[in-house]
Amino acid sequence: MEDIISLKNIDYSYYGKIPALKNVNLSVKKGEMFSIIGLNGSGKSTLLHIINALVFPDSGDVLFEGNPVTEKSLRDKSFGMQFRQRMGYIFQNPDIQLFCPTVFDELLFAPLQLNLPIETAKERAEQTLSFLGIEYLKERPVYMLSGGEKKRVAIASVLTMNPEILLVDEPLSSLDPKTQTFFIELLLELNRAGKTIIFTTHHLDLIEHLQPRVAVLSEEHTIRKTGTASEILSDEELLISVNLIHEHIHKHGKEEHRHYHSHYVFHKH
Amino acid sequence: MENKIPSYLLQTVYDQYELAKVKRAKLSFLDKTIINSATAVKSIYLQAENATKENFIQKINPHVKLISLIYLVVMISLVDNLVAQILTTAFIFLLYIIAKLKIFQVYRKIFFLAFIFGFLVVLPASLNVITPGKIIFNLITFNKPSHFWIYNIPQNIGFTLNGFQVVSLVFLRVLNSVSFSMLIVFTTSFPAFIKSFKILGVPDTFLMIISLAYKYIFILSRTIEETYFALKSRLSGNIKSKNIRKLISGRIFFIFKRSMIIYENTYYAMVSRGYLGTVILHSPKHFAFKDFVALVIIVALGIGIILL
Repeated sequence: MEDIISLKNIDYSYYGKIPALKNVNLSVKKGEMFSIIGLNGSGKSTLLHIINALVFPDSGDVLFEGNPVTEKSLRDKSFGMQFRQRMGYIFQNPDIQLFCPTVFDELLFAPLQLNLPIETAKERAEQTLSFLGIEYLKERPVYMLSGGEKKRVAIASVLTMNPEILLVDEPLSSLDPKTQTFFIELLLELNRAGKTIIFTTHHLDLIEHLQPRVAVLSEEHTIRKTGTASEILSDEELLISVNLIHEHIHKHGKEEHRHYHSHYVFHKH
Repeated sequence: MENKIPSYLLQTVYDQYELAKVKRAKLSFLDKTIINSATAVKSIYLQAENATKENFIQKINPHVKLISLIYLVVMISLVDNLVAQILTTAFIFLLYIIAKLKIFQVYRKIFFLAFIFGFLVVLPASLNVITPGKIIFNLITFNKPSHFWIYNIPQNIGFTLNGFQVVSLVFLRVLNSVSFSMLIVFTTSFPAFIKSFKILGVPDTFLMIISLAYKYIFILSRTIEETYFALKSRLSGNIKSKNIRKLISGRIFFIFKRSMIIYENTYYAMVSRGYLGTVILHSPKHFAFKDFVALVIIVALGIGIILL
């Protein structure tokens, strides 16, 4: 399968001072489920920003279907529009993503920018509301939603674009268990429907659930290893070295255990 | 999933959308906003980085720095001797070298401020119309001197030697005051510097408000940045100017509302930790020998330039 996204020798720093990414190389294939894992501050979100051309690297190349993605190439109206339409980004914080007066306006926003006829746009919005089980929120102002509802609306607002690639920053962040399950199932469903999904996380259980191909970002902001979910999850030494699993103590009745811990994966006794 | 996936999401051949023929919005002003926001954070970051260097000047007690700043700025204003001012300039420059600051970057700002407020603003004062004396650079020559209301306009108008001395003195005063103030700002952590105002009797509550405002710059910059990225990632290119204006105004409201929420939550956090209307801040570290040495040097400098 062809690469839809390629990053070559990417370096990025904040304000030219604080390193965020160092010599990052990775490629994502069409229709693939891909995850970037690492601790907070390792550069996961920055990497998604670079993939979505929201920021541009200090050095290195970003390729979209083999075409360079630069400030200059995005100034080409046709390429810029295609690029934005084909890539949807669900931010970690839904608050910043929602900017229309009502939920229905949010869902109509992208289709209308893409010049879809209003009837088609409305149909899409209605279908998406129903798909995500939020029809009852249709006319509600965005600021009157709960955290979980905002997240669902944020997802819906991106889905109505029908993006080919979905970037998701920390899918499970501040969600209750029910919404987490919903989101995991949704990502699987969309991937089955042919969408390329790239998400960041530091939850290894999510990797176990979704079985994506994984790139591990270290605290030194470099990619330590790329591999299948099982290859990464079975590499205990790697996960310890990037601090994704750690030793902890817990009790079973009166008996005390000390072992490496990350929910589901290394909880072996 | 309980519900059926919408049919449009199952399309594997993606729509090719045409660019609409509408007046398109230019987003460069958004880019400028985000760049300026990032620059503000960068300068704060650089200040914090400089202030925490392990150098003699950085380690001096903020109280001593504040007292030195007030004392030296007063002394610089009183001194009307050019040589004394030049010596002060050299001394402050030496302090910059000791503090290991990025001299070129800082002095570029200092000279800009000194040029505007210490040179351009007072330059007319060097004309013989204002400061009488021997003309060293003639500008205009009239046929004869004239008299207008309370003003005597001489036959020749030009820059005088005395005028230049006055301008040089003002320029050096501004240069020295600004450069010494910046030295203190760049070598002291902002919260510690603000706390040192306690010595002048500034109420703790006021100092707390200043500290919170300073912290809030970071939060606000971050919010602006995130909001901008979210907007940019969903703008496919066909948006009309009037729509983008609506969006931006909505986002400004959002940032304002978010500010209110953060403010409220900060207040609640303060109340839950025992705030009863009076803030009590702890004082900066105690005086050490090096602080007395620094104070003596500054006092000696002040007396020295006055006596010169």
